[in-house]
Amino acid sequence: MHINNKFIKENEGGIIGIILILFLIGMTFYALFLIPTQLRLHWNDPLYWSNNPRDAAPSWINYFLKLFNYQLPEHKIFYQKDALRNYINNTEFKQQNNTFSYQFNFNEFPSAIDIPYTIIVGKIPPVIDIYIKRPDNLEFEIYSNSLDSNNIKYIANGHDTNNNTLNHNILSSNTVSGRIYSSSQEVKNALNNYSNLFKFSIANLSPEKIIFSETNSNKPLTGKYEITFSIYSFDSNTILKDLNIIIQGKVFGLLGTDELRRDVFFGILIGTPVDLFIGVTVALSSTFIGLFYGLIAGYKERKIGTFMLIIIDIFLTLPSLILLIIISLHFGRNLLFLIGLFILFGWPGLALLNRTFSIQIKNYQYVQASKLMGESDLKIVLRHIVPQLLPFTLANFALAVPAAILGESALSFLGLGDPSFPTWGQMLQDAHTSSAETLGYWWWIVSPGFMISITSVTFILLGRSSEKFFKMDKKR
Amino acid sequence: MKVFFFFLLKKIIILFIVLLITLFITIFLLSSTFDQIMKDSIRTQVIESISSAISKNSNIHQFKNSDERQKFIDQQIKLQSQSLGLDEPWYSPKKLFNNVLKIITLDLGKSRFATTFNGSSSVNDLILEKMPYTILLFTSSSITIIIISLFFGAYLASKEGKIMDKFISGLASISQGVPTWWFSMIMIVFFSFYLRVLPSGSTPLIPPNGSGYTADLLYHMTLPFITLVIIGFAPSVYYVKYIISRILHEDFIKTLKIMGIPQKSILYKHALKNAGPQLTTMFGLGLAGTLGGSVLVEQIFDWPGMGNLFYNAIFQSDSPLIIGLVYFFALIYLLTRLILDVCFTYFDPRIRSEES
Repeated sequence: MHINNKFIKENEGGIIGIILILFLIGMTFYALFLIPTQLRLHWNDPLYWSNNPRDAAPSWINYFLKLFNYQLPEHKIFYQKDALRNYINNTEFKQQNNTFSYQFNFNEFPSAIDIPYTIIVGKIPPVIDIYIKRPDNLEFEIYSNSLDSNNIKYIANGHDTNNNTLNHNILSSNTVSGRIYSSSQEVKNALNNYSNLFKFSIANLSPEKIIFSETNSNKPLTGKYEITFSIYSFDSNTILKDLNIIIQGKVFGLLGTDELRRDVFFGILIGTPVDLFIGVTVALSSTFIGLFYGLIAGYKERKIGTFMLIIIDIFLTLPSLILLIIISLHFGRNLLFLIGLFILFGWPGLALLNRTFSIQIKNYQYVQASKLMGESDLKIVLRHIVPQLLPFTLANFALAVPAAILGESALSFLGLGDPSFPTWGQMLQDAHTSSAETLGYWWWIVSPGFMISITSVTFILLGRSSEKFFKMDKKR
Repeated sequence: MKVFFFFLLKKIIILFIVLLITLFITIFLLSSTFDQIMKDSIRTQVIESISSAISKNSNIHQFKNSDERQKFIDQQIKLQSQSLGLDEPWYSPKKLFNNVLKIITLDLGKSRFATTFNGSSSVNDLILEKMPYTILLFTSSSITIIIISLFFGAYLASKEGKIMDKFISGLASISQGVPTWWFSMIMIVFFSFYLRVLPSGSTPLIPPNGSGYTADLLYHMTLPFITLVIIGFAPSVYYVKYIISRILHEDFIKTLKIMGIPQKSILYKHALKNAGPQLTTMFGLGLAGTLGGSVLVEQIFDWPGMGNLFYNAIFQSDSPLIIGLVYFFALIYLLTRLILDVCFTYFDPRIRSEES
């Protein structure tokens, strides 16, 4: 027990490194085996993320804000099944009401309301009406429109014309799919009718700040809201197929969302295998090349050795970052090509170190002895020199991983990464181009960079402690 | 001395080869645009020379009509292009020689988009204008880091194994793993967005010749400066401590202790002095690295230095500027390496004997 404690104390770094690497491997396995490939391809597809809120903070910050009695609006999606439905049959038309009740208890306005719908249309286009009943019993009609008046010309025999407007899509001959945005001009105009109810000017406010506002001052009004989506149909063929009410929150998910409504946590997850793959592949290849090149350069004498040393020297003197930028700028953004470039610039340093060791070991007596006994060069290198260098090579491998990961993220940040494989560096590039720093979207910046740092530190810790073992070995 | 001379010669040859390789790669990658630049400059030269010849002596170069004039111009351009080898592929020796000669003699041409504050678009002027900013920020923060690490590192070397020592070595591991440019983003979020004490963009709002420019520049420099020092000092302190603590274990230090020389004097006078060569190399390389500035850090802070210039040149594919900057960065990098190699060999004779 006494020895164990001492061991732990001396290798704190290594133990932390092992814990961290297990964590990273866990994330990799999760991302590779539990997220379907199909889902991973959606990262660059903005449509896939359209039901998420934009620039939302992580949802756990509400737990901290609770201490200050402050709550940010959560993201809320209502589905068709959540609605309270009733039908009113008049002689001339049928009215179908879908009422959703929404408990709003937050200290800030939501960011927007989106209402996607799909309706099967009969012969006569229906009229859509949206009401919001507020806790103070005021009722706003925020939208009222006939599907027909929005340039959807219904054609009886199913020939589509090119009348797709921005908000409406004719899916098949009689299915209309659309999305009503609270930021649209129709909603703004509709709300202008209620300007006399408010004791302040609502002219320049966005709709969600009017709908959820107190009448005395522009502060959020908490309580129960009832949102009613009504369809007035004039024939029996009109059927509401799908309806969502999305109240865009300001907090979402484990790590929030970005400008394109993508889940940051999802991005972090699918970035893990890519970043680890880059780091490990580059490190593995360059330590391997470096080891054998260095060994041969040290073992061979005179001309070949000197020539090999000069090549190492040339590679070490090349301004690698600048060349990396220029080359990848010209040859395009391919992950494997990038990895190749990193290997090309990564091996020479290791080769130089290994050469020095190989010269030392070469002159040991037992190596000289086996040489005299007529063993072949290859056998001597593989049997006597390589095993001596293994722990040291392991340390080099671990220390080469962060270099590759940091290099890749820097290139990605410059916009030179492979877009079909999202990495943490690319997420940071997106954040920077949307000026997330100055807008204060910290969750979008902190998480990817934190992952880069954690991964690098993990391998640095592992490398340092295996170096320590190497030194201890030597002392013995 | 002879060995030293040969060593120096070898180094210079290698560095020259590397410079040529870098230039060849750059020219190869940007050759098509480079040709266009050359052709454009020939065209303007030809037209200028004709019009000046006409104005000087109206009898000689009179053309009957514009077609004839155009024909003459085209012919002249073709002649000159051929003499420069522009109609040949990039690897033809004549053309390569011409291109490389042009770059080496600092004939870097004009940038397509960027201009200096005075409106000049010459690549040389641009580099000369931006370089002082980079030196101001990066070199000053490096020097600050060097001063901190010399004193703090030497102090820590005498306290090996204490909590402070462990803390710094942990911090060094972390700072090496954390990308500086990401840390810069975090600093902006914290200081500019939440605390609102320092500006996020670093380009001063007052024009360079306005009054109060220096104060404004220094105010805008504060955040990047602090960021660079915080992220950079721990590895540097750790390294200085490592070198000095190794020297402290040597026999001559023990002798000094026995002689009764005070601890402080041993540490700051004898140990530091003996660590001189290694520290010079390390800090020299670090300082050289700062001259190019960090492309990413300058871009994030919007600091008007050479890194930012390079970033913009890349994204506007401003080839003359890219070629000029690459040459310039490579030149600085290689020259410092040469100077350091020379210094290092001079200080440490063991290297010479090993090499020979």
